[in-house]
Amino acid sequence: MTTVEEPRQAELPHGIGAPVRRVEDPRLLTGQATYLADVQLPGMKHVAILRSPVAHARIVRIGADRVRAAPGVLAAFTGDDLAAVSRPFSHLLPMPTIKPHEWFVLATDKVRFVGEPIAAVVAQTRYLAEDALELFDVELEDLPVVASAEAALAPDAPLLYDTWSDNQYLTAAYSSGDMAGALSAAHGVLRERFTHHRVIGMPLEGHGATGHFDGASGQLTLYASSQQPHNLRTVVSNVTGLAESKVRVISPDMGGGFGNKQHFLREESLIAVIATQVTQPVSWVQDRSEAMTASVHSREQIHDVEVAYRADGRVLGVRAKLLADVGNPVLYFTPAAPPLVTSSLMTGVYDISAFEFELCCAATNKCPMGAYRGFGQPQAFFTIERVMDLVAEELGLDPADVRRVNMIPDAPRPFVSPTGALYDTGSFRDQFDTLLESVGYAEVRGRQQVARSEGRHLGIGLAAIVEATAPNLHGFAGRFGGYETAMVAVQPDGSVNVAVGTKSQGQGHQTVLAQIVADVFGVGLDQIDVVDGDTSRLPYGMGTWGSRSAVMGGGAVLKAATEVRNKMVAIAGHMLGVDATDVTLDAGCFRAGEQMLPFPAVADVAYLHTFVLPGGTEMGLSATVVYDPGNTSPFPDERGHMNPAATWATAAGAVVVEVDVNTGQVDIQDAVIVHDCGRVINPLILEGQIQGAFAQAVGAVLLEELVYSPDGQLLTSTLLDYAIPAFGNVPRLRVVHRETPSDLLGGFRGAGEAGIIVMPAAIANAVHDALRPFGVRITQTNLSPSRLRTLLRAAGVRCDPLAHVRLGPRPPAAIA
Amino acid sequence: MKVVFTANGMSHELDLEPRELLADVLRDRLDLRSVHIACEQGACGTCTVLVDGRGVRSCLMFGVQVAGCEVSTVEAIGSPADLHPIQRSLSEHHGLQCGFCTPGMVLAAVELLRDVPSPTTAEIEEALAGNLCRCTGYVSIVDAIAAASGTTTPGGDE
Repeated sequence: MTTVEEPRQAELPHGIGAPVRRVEDPRLLTGQATYLADVQLPGMKHVAILRSPVAHARIVRIGADRVRAAPGVLAAFTGDDLAAVSRPFSHLLPMPTIKPHEWFVLATDKVRFVGEPIAAVVAQTRYLAEDALELFDVELEDLPVVASAEAALAPDAPLLYDTWSDNQYLTAAYSSGDMAGALSAAHGVLRERFTHHRVIGMPLEGHGATGHFDGASGQLTLYASSQQPHNLRTVVSNVTGLAESKVRVISPDMGGGFGNKQHFLREESLIAVIATQVTQPVSWVQDRSEAMTASVHSREQIHDVEVAYRADGRVLGVRAKLLADVGNPVLYFTPAAPPLVTSSLMTGVYDISAFEFELCCAATNKCPMGAYRGFGQPQAFFTIERVMDLVAEELGLDPADVRRVNMIPDAPRPFVSPTGALYDTGSFRDQFDTLLESVGYAEVRGRQQVARSEGRHLGIGLAAIVEATAPNLHGFAGRFGGYETAMVAVQPDGSVNVAVGTKSQGQGHQTVLAQIVADVFGVGLDQIDVVDGDTSRLPYGMGTWGSRSAVMGGGAVLKAATEVRNKMVAIAGHMLGVDATDVTLDAGCFRAGEQMLPFPAVADVAYLHTFVLPGGTEMGLSATVVYDPGNTSPFPDERGHMNPAATWATAAGAVVVEVDVNTGQVDIQDAVIVHDCGRVINPLILEGQIQGAFAQAVGAVLLEELVYSPDGQLLTSTLLDYAIPAFGNVPRLRVVHRETPSDLLGGFRGAGEAGIIVMPAAIANAVHDALRPFGVRITQTNLSPSRLRTLLRAAGVRCDPLAHVRLGPRPPAAIA
Repeated sequence: MKVVFTANGMSHELDLEPRELLADVLRDRLDLRSVHIACEQGACGTCTVLVDGRGVRSCLMFGVQVAGCEVSTVEAIGSPADLHPIQRSLSEHHGLQCGFCTPGMVLAAVELLRDVPSPTTAEIEEALAGNLCRCTGYVSIVDAIAAASGTTTPGGDE
């Protein structure tokens, strides 16, 4: 299991392992894809949503009379109107330490963040709907605003929910090993606060939903840009009260998701409910300011850690106190999920026997916190990887050596983490050595000395991760397991239909799943049609999130295709008059000795010349299967142990930076990742995923920040003041693949998130390393030029951002 | 008001409200669904179209402003069976993932290579600086455009 294999050559030019071009590309390149806004239903009307202009207020009155009389308006709804015809959402979690919480599709009694939906209008066009929004008579009574997690916990803090005793939405605590003993045996104790700032995943295509309720059949069809269409069907069924058999959800081509579209956004159910109240189809397409202010924010946490270490750098124990700002937690599933993941992974890739955490998720008057690529993992690894560097610095040791001393040993596997995660990975140490070699660690250290002597500030940062892939969702959603469903049908002409419960948002699933099927049947990709995102095609499915699609979707497709293949081999054996075990299938032909049967000939017999079938064989060639590796735990056991992921991927990253201490600009000169996601299906797509995640890491650390004013107004609500990376901002990440196949079907581990989990920590470590001569201590994720200049000035550096304009390139900054 | 203009070689006479954005006119009146709207603030370049051969953000123009103009969208650039060399190169270099920004990227690249047939990496990055992509991390797009123009990039495989 833990043997590293040479990257395998694909056996077919288009099978598993081949860097084939994507089958979805032609339609995307020519503008022929169908995204949510491209879905046009006959007679379709348009919905605009009235949103709260303030962060905290009691709703005194919302009058809709003038709206209903406006030109082109068909209907208008307030929160009370729709609460009467729908059911509330709930987090459904049975944990004793979470506050009870229900909310409706529109706010009813109070508004609790800027952008919270409070009323909706249906009109002939979006233009007319937006016009009519201005005619709602809204009376709000302002309430004091809670704009940060720390403010939420103050003894006299205003309460978001009158029925709650405080603003602590969820608390959790866990303890393993002897922390007191670790502290008393320690050579030193590091006490540090790390702050993780608020960012947004922000797919370029926003959320959206289009719904139609057919009164004659009683069926609701909802198109939504959703990562989890079947799960959304369950949620919509709950909210509308319709039988789930009468709800069909279709998720068309998606313009990105990144976890933001995992959340069954309130507005998706809003459109479903409105559809049941009007006769025409209705559509809402989120605009950018709605996406920025009122969809899904991520990451904001504060970590206070206490780390006991020996003189050789060995870390004996970690105690972490986590405070997460979850905003107004009106997201299903719960905004507490990412911080719970952070908490459970705080020991990183290190063998640390004593571990304790306390977590508090504080509700505030801000946009709900939720999923973004990495899902709580970037925060855990940022903190523990910063800790490794700071411990090394305290002791005067090399950070690479401190990591080696602490790294999880190569055996046994699975390694049981302090929280019960079962790491089925390859060698962390070998992977780390490969990283040091790839980045030329010793050579960079040499260059750093030269640079410093020239007044330039070069730094190198290292980080390593173990990444949950194909997780279970029970503990976070109160439902939804870790299994997946797929259907494979070989048609009479030998072409193949595949349906799967995962949902591509741009990751190329149509291609990689077809490659898996091609490997099983030996047919061309043009003979394989893969569909996802339509609940009418499969009984159920779990969607795409948590790097699960290759492992779970791929596993389910592989299982179904193999079942059909085995049946075809048996039929071919009968037709050729030989034992099935003597039949091989390759290059689209069944062969036994000199005899051969083309693939379509067997398919034809199974449907159209069934009298040729062996006795007792069922007609047709299709299989609908459920795939469940069965090794995740839905809930913690009596010790609090839980394995959340079906298999784990690993990565290690290194970054070399030069920091201009006059401007605070970080120039990434080299970036390397060593990446192990088990068996690689398509290296072209995989590298695209890794580079794309790296871009988001660069954005999150060096460019992006969601800024709220003290009264809870989002000050960065457009793409003009929230800077995502553009051309020229993202260097090329060098990728080194290792393949340690998992024990699961196909040997796959998940991919797509490592770049954003490991690289922020590597960048921060490099910046700290570059600025060591100034004593600047990096304990925050936000390292934008202005934030870095603040840190440099606090360290006594006289930054002069215009120095290079006046004096020429890169003058050394002066120490005051 | 009555407006006459050409879109992808076909002449149209439309009765438009002055406030209708060009992006909405192209999508809703002419069914040119390749025009994707992502910010409506001119910040992301997703809705880029060519007006008289120049790249514009169709969310920042009113439909009435293209009276007498020739508008091109990606529908006129290539088809699935006959991709433009830039489109083919984007596929070969995996220069697109979700595809939402792609039509705007293709048009910006078409404009660039028409004016600068062999651009440097810096010229490609400069010319496309107004087009955002949240998926790829850009280097594969730069590689693709460089390859389509016959030039090479440090990491490209040409």
